[in-house]
Amino acid sequence: MKTYLGEFEELVLLTIAMLGDDAYGVSIQNDIQERCKRSISIGALHSTITRLEEKGFLKSWLGGATQERGGRSKRYFEVTQAGKIILNETKALRDNLWSLSKSTLSLQK
Amino acid sequence: MKHLSPPKFARRLFDWYCGFASVEDLQGDLEEWFYINVKSKGLRKAQLIYWRQVLALIFSYAVKKRKRDSNFGSLSSHPLSFSMIENYFKVAYRNIIRHKYFSVVNVVGLSIGMSVGLLFIAMFSNVSSYDNFHVNKENIYRIISHKTEGIETYSYASSPTALADKIESDYRGVESVVRINSSFSDEAVLEKDNIPLEGYYADDSFLSVFTFEMIEGAGRSALSKPNSIILTETIANNLFASTDVVGKLVEFKTLGSFQVTGVMKDNPKNSHLEFQVLVSYSTLPSSIRENGGNPELWSEYRNQYVYVLIPDNQLQSFEKFLEEVSKKKYPTPQNISATFELEHLPGITPGQDLRNSIGPQWELSGFIMFTAIVLLILLPACFNYTNISIARALKRSKEIGLRKTIGGQKNQIFFQFLIETIVLTFVALLGALLLFFLMRDGFHSILAESSKLDLSLTPQMAGLFMLFALFTGLMAGGIPAAYFSRLNPIQALRNQSTRAFSVTRLRKGLTVFQFFLSFCFIIALVGFARQYRYSLNYDLGFQQENILDIQLKSVNKETFKSEFSRLAPVHSISMSSGILGINPSSTWMQTSNNKDSVEVFQLFVDEAFIPAFKLELLAGKNFPVETSQHEQYIIVNEEFIKERKIQNPLDALGKTFRIDDKDLEIIGVLKNFHFVSLQLPIKSFFFRTDPSQFTHANLAVSFQDTHSALTEMENIWKKLAGNLKFEAHFFDDEIEEAYSFYDALLKVFGILGLLAISISLLGILGMVVYTSENKIKEVGIRKVMGASTLSITVLLSKDYLKLISIAAVLSIPVTVFLFDIFVSAIQHYHITLSVWDILISLLILIILGIGTITSQTLKTASANPTEALKYE
Repeated sequence: MKTYLGEFEELVLLTIAMLGDDAYGVSIQNDIQERCKRSISIGALHSTITRLEEKGFLKSWLGGATQERGGRSKRYFEVTQAGKIILNETKALRDNLWSLSKSTLSLQK
Repeated sequence: MKHLSPPKFARRLFDWYCGFASVEDLQGDLEEWFYINVKSKGLRKAQLIYWRQVLALIFSYAVKKRKRDSNFGSLSSHPLSFSMIENYFKVAYRNIIRHKYFSVVNVVGLSIGMSVGLLFIAMFSNVSSYDNFHVNKENIYRIISHKTEGIETYSYASSPTALADKIESDYRGVESVVRINSSFSDEAVLEKDNIPLEGYYADDSFLSVFTFEMIEGAGRSALSKPNSIILTETIANNLFASTDVVGKLVEFKTLGSFQVTGVMKDNPKNSHLEFQVLVSYSTLPSSIRENGGNPELWSEYRNQYVYVLIPDNQLQSFEKFLEEVSKKKYPTPQNISATFELEHLPGITPGQDLRNSIGPQWELSGFIMFTAIVLLILLPACFNYTNISIARALKRSKEIGLRKTIGGQKNQIFFQFLIETIVLTFVALLGALLLFFLMRDGFHSILAESSKLDLSLTPQMAGLFMLFALFTGLMAGGIPAAYFSRLNPIQALRNQSTRAFSVTRLRKGLTVFQFFLSFCFIIALVGFARQYRYSLNYDLGFQQENILDIQLKSVNKETFKSEFSRLAPVHSISMSSGILGINPSSTWMQTSNNKDSVEVFQLFVDEAFIPAFKLELLAGKNFPVETSQHEQYIIVNEEFIKERKIQNPLDALGKTFRIDDKDLEIIGVLKNFHFVSLQLPIKSFFFRTDPSQFTHANLAVSFQDTHSALTEMENIWKKLAGNLKFEAHFFDDEIEEAYSFYDALLKVFGILGLLAISISLLGILGMVVYTSENKIKEVGIRKVMGASTLSITVLLSKDYLKLISIAAVLSIPVTVFLFDIFVSAIQHYHITLSVWDILISLLILIILGIGTITSQTLKTASANPTEALKYE
């Protein structure tokens, strides 16, 4: 069965891709909150990440502990090849729809 | 810096909740957020957010998933891999082989416990297959009725056939309606013999609605013409010695001749409809058949049944229709009213307890009782297993400790022990099957409707048996498995058991319960046996020996008398309307104030009856010889005058009572005697003299050679009655037969008691063996120090004897109480348990209990101490 990305899933995946080497729990949540101006719950974020991992769009590893974390390591995330493919597919679909309905969606009157 | 740490309790809660799950990164994230928030929003706010985040994570899928993953080590990705299960079976097998003694005790115990369950399953699966063979079964309904007469309401399987006509004329949605009248009963006249036949009058739709296979004949229209008859295979063979009989005539004694229009296979055993012949409904006289506005048809409808074939979507509106019919036909202020209900065909057996049932009936309530009995036998057997397994926990704890240390998870251990138990229960299933086959025939013969029950093994039943074994395994193995899986590996490896105390208590409780049950059975058995003897030897107050009763049938009384009195061994012949002591008829009689009627039992006899049965007259005289055509006199019993408040029997003489529109005078008063079986108390009773009521001749006889005398009688009978059957019984035999149900009761209780007792004994045997084995060294040392065999035996047995005594003490009052309720419910004149009964039962229990215990303890105690001490 083909899997589809939810809106929030897509957002999380893109954020992780954007953050690159520094994508871990706090930084992802922080970035989404700042960028989208919306408050997200840590539980919801990690649930989504877990599901994305199950679907094979993300991989993770433990690393880098810092003082302010009480010496606990961070879990870093990276978008997998499958993740990249689905992101591209989603974008292509959107672009296609955009190009077809440009006139109706135009904000200028 | 200390005041800047996140809230401790929230952190602990999170750590505790996550347990072994790897959430280091989440904890880190939480803390990082906390310090960020402290800087930007202040401590208070940061703590609040920390709490909120902890809760959000606890309820999140992320943590749930990590917890689930953590249950299994990094090496086992699946909870139950095939090789692990294989290993469980291997370990189970090795354990069963290594501990042969315990395995045998357990298997035997569980076999016994399960055997009754198998009987139940066999019976239930057969009974619930009833009526499965009908193709239309899902859409066939029987209309049953709830009839209210006065203040009492009873439910009947029957309903007025007039209702069927109403449905046919006023309701469109029903596919077909079948009217059945089950009163067909007559004798088919053959050259040599008459054969009594019973069956149904039925509409021809009977053949299309129900699925009874026809062998010969015109199929679905076979019942359309009056005086058509369909025979079953057996009956066709009996009557014509062939099944190719369509078109032939069957001559009946009273109903005339019928033409055979079909032959059908014998009724399947699992059918709630049971008939030898089917007769077309149009044969019935029109007074019964037609709904000619006769209101009687709606109030008295014994033996009338209505079945309908109806599509599902019509059900609701049809029910409404029935409700309206009931309202219309029984306007409120009326004595008799009835409501109708649809009963789905597959739900008829096993089903509710209805009056006037059409064929064999299996009530659900009986099955509920049976379930209780099954559990009473099965649970103690499961307890035994639980008991013995937990007792041996100490020996197994090292294995479990090791398993846990090298990564065995709780649910893996649980599963392992469950598998072990289930393997054992499947072995026990074989034993139970053996017992099942042994008990089956006996069980079959006790049941009332035994001919309609087929207990042979079917594949479906075998499947159910396996499920039952699985269920038993879960029940017996659940507690030990849970117990073992929770053992702390450190304590287990150190041979410490933290739960020892509570477990011992539980075990003791279970043992007490088992013996409690066993002792109840023993007392009940002793009690019933005495009650049986008591009933047989009860002085009924009249002569029972050497009286032969013969059914008169259609033979003329006078010729019978004159022919039979010529025989040498016959001293006297008296006539009666029934057998004294068994089911007398009754009549209603107005009380003195002419308001109420009371029921009075009666028997019609001639003047020779009272002397022949040696009944004692307290006052007055016997009936005069050859009373005139009009009934004039009655002879009453003591109870009769007592109920009418007459003190002296002499005062009662000459009083007249109006009975059945006749004025009858009391000419004698008899001492009380048991005119009805001991199940009922003595009530008002009188003898009457109407010769037209006589059905039995009672011959006072003294036989030298019973057999030749009876043949001689039979020859005379043949002269008088032609081919009617000669039915003669000895009076005392008939009385004994009336109490034969005690025999069945004794058998049932005997077998159940035997099972319960052997299970308890096996249980205690296992426990004793186990403790004795554990104490081998102690016993050795004691013996070396000079203890006697006896004192050691006592030491080892003491605890168990104490448990048995507690059980006995508890069960005596309970059993005495229950026995009294039960026995008085089945018989008015009954015994109460005496001290002797209880002492005898106690003796049996003690002999069995002590025998079992000492057989083992004595062995341990008398063993050579050097052997024991060399043991390790």
